[in-house]
Amino acid sequence: MTRAGLAIAILFAVAATLAAAFHASPAILGWLAAIAAVGITLAAGAAARDLQAPDDLREPRHARGPTAPVPEPPDMATRRGAFGRLWGIAAGAFAVLGIAPFIALARKPAPRGTAWTAGARVVTPDNLPVRADTLSVGGVATVFPADRVGAPESATMLIRLPSDVLRVQPDRTGWAPDGNVAYSKICTHAGCPVAIYRHASYELYCPCHQSVFDVLDAAKPVSGPATRALPQLALDVDAEGYLIARGDYTEPVGPDSWDRTL
Amino acid sequence: MMRGIVAFLDDRFGSNAGARFVLRKIYPDHWSFYLGEFALYAFMLLVATGVWLTFVYQANPTDAYDSVASLSRAAPIGYLMRQVHHWSAVAFVAAILIHMARIFFTAAFRKPRELNWVVGVTMLILASLTGFTGYSLPNDALSGVGLRIADSVLLAVPFIGNWASDVFTGGGFPGPLILQHLYTIHVYFLPVIIALLLSAHLGMLVYQKHTQFVREPQNVVGRRFWPDYALRTLAALGATVAVILALAATVEINPIDVYGPYKDWTAPNPAVPDWYAAFLDGGLRIGPSFEFTIFGHPIPALFLPAVVMPLVVLSIVIAWPWIDAAFTRDHAKHDVLVPPTFAPWRVGFGSGLIAAGTFLTLAASDDAQALAIHQPVQSMVTFYRILVPLGSLLVGVLAGLFARELRRRSAAHGTESERVVALRRNEHGGFDEEPVGSAL
Repeated sequence: MTRAGLAIAILFAVAATLAAAFHASPAILGWLAAIAAVGITLAAGAAARDLQAPDDLREPRHARGPTAPVPEPPDMATRRGAFGRLWGIAAGAFAVLGIAPFIALARKPAPRGTAWTAGARVVTPDNLPVRADTLSVGGVATVFPADRVGAPESATMLIRLPSDVLRVQPDRTGWAPDGNVAYSKICTHAGCPVAIYRHASYELYCPCHQSVFDVLDAAKPVSGPATRALPQLALDVDAEGYLIARGDYTEPVGPDSWDRTL
Repeated sequence: MMRGIVAFLDDRFGSNAGARFVLRKIYPDHWSFYLGEFALYAFMLLVATGVWLTFVYQANPTDAYDSVASLSRAAPIGYLMRQVHHWSAVAFVAAILIHMARIFFTAAFRKPRELNWVVGVTMLILASLTGFTGYSLPNDALSGVGLRIADSVLLAVPFIGNWASDVFTGGGFPGPLILQHLYTIHVYFLPVIIALLLSAHLGMLVYQKHTQFVREPQNVVGRRFWPDYALRTLAALGATVAVILALAATVEINPIDVYGPYKDWTAPNPAVPDWYAAFLDGGLRIGPSFEFTIFGHPIPALFLPAVVMPLVVLSIVIAWPWIDAAFTRDHAKHDVLVPPTFAPWRVGFGSGLIAAGTFLTLAASDDAQALAIHQPVQSMVTFYRILVPLGSLLVGVLAGLFARELRRRSAAHGTESERVVALRRNEHGGFDEEPVGSAL
């Protein structure tokens, strides 16, 4: 059995090497190598069994402790108190010194805000500008400021709503021309893209932790772990009929943190 | 030739004395003692395939995805290497957890082995972190979302959150340096620490000698290392390699070309992390939708499930040897393992904890489950909010009662005596019972 196992191991190891040399598929390569390993297991297992070695050999356990305390030189022992403490404080000071470089590792905090600016045209990920009637009612698109596709924190969901369903907040009149309402696509919970729009219920849904936001009511969270509404991007229409931003988001985009005060 | 090498070394180092010690050493034998070895061999596979992968991987946002995705196109062996690496990581963490459960339920962590338990738990944490940093390296759509969540969790930490996030990302997510940082952490930092801890783990094991089920505290009872145990562990090595290779060759893991490259405005749906990180994701999904402020600083909803929960659980697990000793008022040294049923309350606690972890892990796919049974996701969230505390409690209590019943039965049948005594003749011609060390 040991011989058979070793024969399998040798044969299949060689076969796997050849298979690798001739670019065989990963499945064939993997299985040939796996069978070679099985050969080793068979050989070693059989050899161990054939030994018929006893499993009740004994050797004494020696207690490892406690042992006698290490004797200190007498002059050290008498002056120990103050010196011991000072050594400890010195060690602590060096530990703090060791952390210092890591504090410096933090770069300047990225400037707050997104790439959206007043008058920036709304574009699709292909950098095509969007008109107020580009989306049909019920349509949805991921949009960015023109020429800044993929800019951090700037991904925005543009949704075209029927004209009278949006519950316009008092301070947000005119932010959604022709039913084009835009919310940040970065979830306020953990920063995932709020990528799924449920047409029937006018809800945005985050695939990571299932937070649901009510598109008709300022994207306030209605279920799931999110606690804050998705910020709304104020839109307008320029002279040529293209959607533009009135400015950057007025609320922080993305998840909350200690330093991100409202 | 072998003889020549041995003589050469012995002449210079006197190494035969050490070799004799290693080869003649006796190891207690039991099938469950191989669980830790599976983890060790998975780690060896990880290092071997990992070194190979570093020759291909490019740690920058532009090339990272293509450098990994092209592995499968360029040469089949590259694809296999990545599959073996990922499967080994999955197996590594799994083997550590199962090994740890064995240590826990047989009370192998008791004095004098508390520190080795601490080292082991630390390795579990580092192994999970290595796994997470590793599967984030390809910069694919799924792992990119995971990184974003990890960054949000960092941000949720009071005081240092923003600093930590800036260090991690290089200044705002996704940051130009995040992959480079992950590469350093994944390739140099964590594996080296794991290797050092692994040496300490095995060094302590050899020095303190292995625990055993044989109730003979004064002796190590088992098999000689050479050639008996060496052959057995070689068989375990072959089996580990075979299983991982077969899995890698048959079942595709982390299909990044299905996910596509990461863009911060797209996410796969459903999005679920690797299994050992999923309990955290489950916690995030069912965690309370509740944010409060301290002195005007927000404490985000993430803080409780993603920072406090794991820290509390891990603190309890790390401190378990001392908690257990305080609970049992047993501060004696133990080299003999107990059958799990010996301490039903410990079985209960351990099973409850495993159940909680399992339920949280299941909660990480609540959206897929909701879809399968045509229920709203919110109902599943409610279900898991009830299941995690109450279900775990129930599992713990039932497991404890079950263990107590088993212990009662084995005691009734006299199959397992828990008391080991020496009989000593006394001057009246009778026998006195004398406890032998601390048998269990």
